[in-house]
Amino acid sequence: MNKPKNTLTSGFLGDNTVLSGLMVISPVIMCGDTLKNALALVYAFSLITFFSVMISSFVPKRLPYAVKIIIYAVISALIYIPVKLLAQEIYPEAIGRTGIYFPLLAVNSLIVHQTEAKFFRMRKLEMTGSLVFYILGFDAVMLLTGVIRELFAYGTVYNRMVDMNTLISGIAQPFGGFIFLGLLCGIYRKIRSMAAANENAEKEAENVSDN
Amino acid sequence: MFLITELIALLAANLILMQALGTSTLFIAAGSSRNLIGTASVITVFTTAGSAAAYLINRFTGQKYSDFLLLFYVLAVGILYIILLAVFYLAGKNKFEQSRKYIHISAYNCAVMGTIFTISDKAGLSAENFSLLDYVTCGFEAGIGFILAAFILTAAYRKLNSSKVPSSFRGFPAMLVYLGIISMAVYSLK
Repeated sequence: MNKPKNTLTSGFLGDNTVLSGLMVISPVIMCGDTLKNALALVYAFSLITFFSVMISSFVPKRLPYAVKIIIYAVISALIYIPVKLLAQEIYPEAIGRTGIYFPLLAVNSLIVHQTEAKFFRMRKLEMTGSLVFYILGFDAVMLLTGVIRELFAYGTVYNRMVDMNTLISGIAQPFGGFIFLGLLCGIYRKIRSMAAANENAEKEAENVSDN
Repeated sequence: MFLITELIALLAANLILMQALGTSTLFIAAGSSRNLIGTASVITVFTTAGSAAAYLINRFTGQKYSDFLLLFYVLAVGILYIILLAVFYLAGKNKFEQSRKYIHISAYNCAVMGTIFTISDKAGLSAENFSLLDYVTCGFEAGIGFILAAFILTAAYRKLNSSKVPSSFRGFPAMLVYLGIISMAVYSLK
């Protein structure tokens, strides 16, 4: 009974884009050191991914795989242009700080590979819902990473000073990003396995009471 | 001494350890040495040929079309993608079947696109004119850097996936922490 619900929302927690699928991790590691960067990347990723996948879903399925992948990437690169122009108005500083990782969002594996493997096997409405949750999954991890790394690295949140006694400057560096994401990934898995164990225990208890 | 200096330079400019580009592909490829060699070789071909294409694009488009750069790069990589598939197809059915999955994985990989953007940025910031050879050399070095990082990860792959590692951290989380520690060591060399 719960299966369709799980499939639709699994992109947010159960099958998170970053923590479970390990997709789009380079911007999280390299640019997720401040909340401002994180917000700019969340904005770009959400818009580019959503519109690219939605438009790409109209590409004929009969085409050879390689041709379809190229078309998806081209659609994404076209959507990137207005998104970048708008970002220059909303997040002018973040574009410079995120550097090459901003355009790289347009060729993320959620658009290029997961479209064929996952989204285009679903019906349109189901695909739209699932895609939104996959995007929200990335956004949540990006924002969480941005807040925690900024707090510990600079003692600020959104450039506002916070009373922090201990600062770990290395957490803002790429190696800090790797280690932080590894730890976050481990904690996420632990929570997921605990939740699965609880669910199993509840089901067993229900079965016993039914019998 | 020359070799050590070159090795340090390769590590310090490593696209995985210093820029986290292509990390997820590396994790997938590190599972078997055959996959690793296949993916790393194809990525090297793409970074090298892609850099040559970037040179031509940068030379003929200039700053005026900077907003369209991604589109041009995507089209260039798309052409390379088709050419590479065609080459293996013409080389024989077996070779094509064996190699096409590596080509599919590598074409629009972060490592390839990231290398092209990094070299273009480097050329844009450099006071000297970057020649075609400079672009190609940088692209090739990026590919070699990927191979180097891949071997570093493969060396610890089995241990990081062993039952001695707590189940929550086994595999990807442990590999991320491991790469972080290697990255920290390389960072100190810069």
